Amino acid sequence: MYLKELTELSGVSGYEKKVRDFIKEKIRDKVDFIEEDLIGNLIAMKKGRTDKKLLLCAHMDEVGFMVSNIEDDGKLSIIPLGGIDTRSIIGKKVIVGEKEIPGIIGFKAIHLQRDEIYDPPKMESIKVDIGVTKKTEAESKVKIGDFVAFSVESINHGSWFSGKALDDRGGCSILIDIIENGIDLYYETYFVFSVQEELGLRGAGVSAERINPDLAIVIETTTSGDNPEFPSDRRSTELGKGPAITFAHSGYVVDERLFRWIIDVARENNIPYQIKRRTVGGTDARRIATTLAGIPSAVISIPARYIHSPMSIINLDDYDNTLKLVSILLTKEARL
Amino acid sequence: MKDLIRKLTEVNSPSGRESKIREVILNELRNFIDGYEIDKLGNLIVWKNGRSDKKVLLDAHIDEIGVVSSFIDDKGFIRIEAIGGISAYNLIGSRIVFPDSGIEGVVGIEGETPQDVQKNLKELNFDKIFVDIGAKNREEAERLVPIGTFGVYSAGFIDLGKRIISKAMDDRIGCAVLIETIKMSNPYYKLYGAFSVQEEMGLVGASVVAFNIKPDFAVALDVTAWSDTPKGYKRMSIELGKGPAIKIKDNASISDRSIVEKLRSIAEKNSIPYQIEILIFGGTDAAAIQRTSAGIPSGTLSIPCRYVHSPHEMIDIEDAENAVKLLKALVEEEE
Repeated sequence: MYLKELTELSGVSGYEKKVRDFIKEKIRDKVDFIEEDLIGNLIAMKKGRTDKKLLLCAHMDEVGFMVSNIEDDGKLSIIPLGGIDTRSIIGKKVIVGEKEIPGIIGFKAIHLQRDEIYDPPKMESIKVDIGVTKKTEAESKVKIGDFVAFSVESINHGSWFSGKALDDRGGCSILIDIIENGIDLYYETYFVFSVQEELGLRGAGVSAERINPDLAIVIETTTSGDNPEFPSDRRSTELGKGPAITFAHSGYVVDERLFRWIIDVARENNIPYQIKRRTVGGTDARRIATTLAGIPSAVISIPARYIHSPMSIINLDDYDNTLKLVSILLTKEARL
Repeated sequence: MKDLIRKLTEVNSPSGRESKIREVILNELRNFIDGYEIDKLGNLIVWKNGRSDKKVLLDAHIDEIGVVSSFIDDKGFIRIEAIGGISAYNLIGSRIVFPDSGIEGVVGIEGETPQDVQKNLKELNFDKIFVDIGAKNREEAERLVPIGTFGVYSAGFIDLGKRIISKAMDDRIGCAVLIETIKMSNPYYKLYGAFSVQEEMGLVGASVVAFNIKPDFAVALDVTAWSDTPKGYKRMSIELGKGPAIKIKDNASISDRSIVEKLRSIAEKNSIPYQIEILIFGGTDAAAIQRTSAGIPSGTLSIPCRYVHSPHEMIDIEDAENAVKLLKALVEEEE
């Protein structure tokens, strides 16, 4: 399990290199084939008992920002990369660019606000402050186009884990564990660590097209909603109730045979699971399913609170049960 | 043709749960085709040989919009999520059937005071509605409609003479037109019929359906919006009964010019009534087929349909019959 290492690396969409290098280093000697493709996906393959192909996918990128302008006072204007609630980012620590220049996300203090306190801050009134006063000074440290990533240390609470970018470093960690654990794979299994999922599923389709697998399983970290003030009938998943299995999400109804197969395997092996209840949001499964002549795809997720914010939290039993479920699935022939 | 439309529209098959409708269509066509395939996403592809090696693909989607159960409370009330573009407004007062078990329910709205109900009606969304299947409690509801069970409108076929109504004209009318075209034609081209899945989720089936076929051109068959009701859509000129609509453009694609002209000239030559359609929203499978592989010239022939995505979608039977005539001529005519 590499949650600490993976969540403390920065890898906003389009800038996944550090994450990719870390994963590559961990797995390169444990797979039968490894390569980076031209868009930046990392693809590793392990042989199985048959030459039928399965694609297992987790995305490396996290939501973040990009520097869009350097203002006269040295503050940085930023644009979001992925869906971020501006209410969750004010006052947070970030790093900017390859040089990892530290900064904070600044906004008008509460003392100076009137009615605007009732509205989410607009992106155009949010600036990153890197502690300089002049444009030229800022330009010596950062440049337009640099990424801006949340900078957060993870917390191990014992049976819970907090960190940024659990969506989807949680999935990445599961894939690495599976590679390291040396499972008796049924399929020739392609582990795809994809890029730019948060910008619209851009990486995964490219890999699916090259591999042309018989089926795909996407391992995600998904939203929960089990905050005390949020009514239970509107939640998507709940922490501690096991991996979440998706029947449908934005743009795709999961292959019914795979959906039922995954549930049956979980039941037969007494692995707790939950059905993901809300259909908003999408995953790489949509893009993979519609590739080439069609690739039946499914989605299994670790439930997480507060995703797409600077800090999210998962339950480690859910992580273990997700790993267990996926590991068992990979030893079997899927029901298609 | 009405009997076929009734048969197809009475099947309950929302997006992702199309096996029943696929079976009905295959049985309908089995004796009229030279072969068929069910592809990896569940699309049914049938073919009929022609005199030429050139291939034409006609596509209609077999799924319909629906809902899925997402939560059951202690008293057995069921919360739902949308499958495709189904509006909470159309669900209020509607009945829902969950085809796996055949269980029916009615859709209710939250509200603790009459003012509350009015307010919820004004700002309606799926958070404020629920399905009541008459269950005693959670256990009974969970047994009958477990979370993840798909449902559709429960609304019958209505025959008004020239006009007919069903919950699933979108796009079983396209399926009916395609079935009739395949049955009746003696094609010049090798004719492929694609009955595709998950259109309502975002053209999922159609994104892959043309990949192996690589047709020379393709026409999607779908419903389109209307302008001929009180304060109906302005900036559009589609009326029921004035013939099938040759689409120029919608929000997802621009029809290939050559296909528009081919359909128009065949209609003129054979005195088949037609309309020209520019839809100011929406999209059809043509958008996905057009972008497959190295690109496939594609267009759409639409059946004008009132109240699309409501439980009661109305078409004019003559528009469907004329669409069959037009498509038959299209696939039979030598270049």
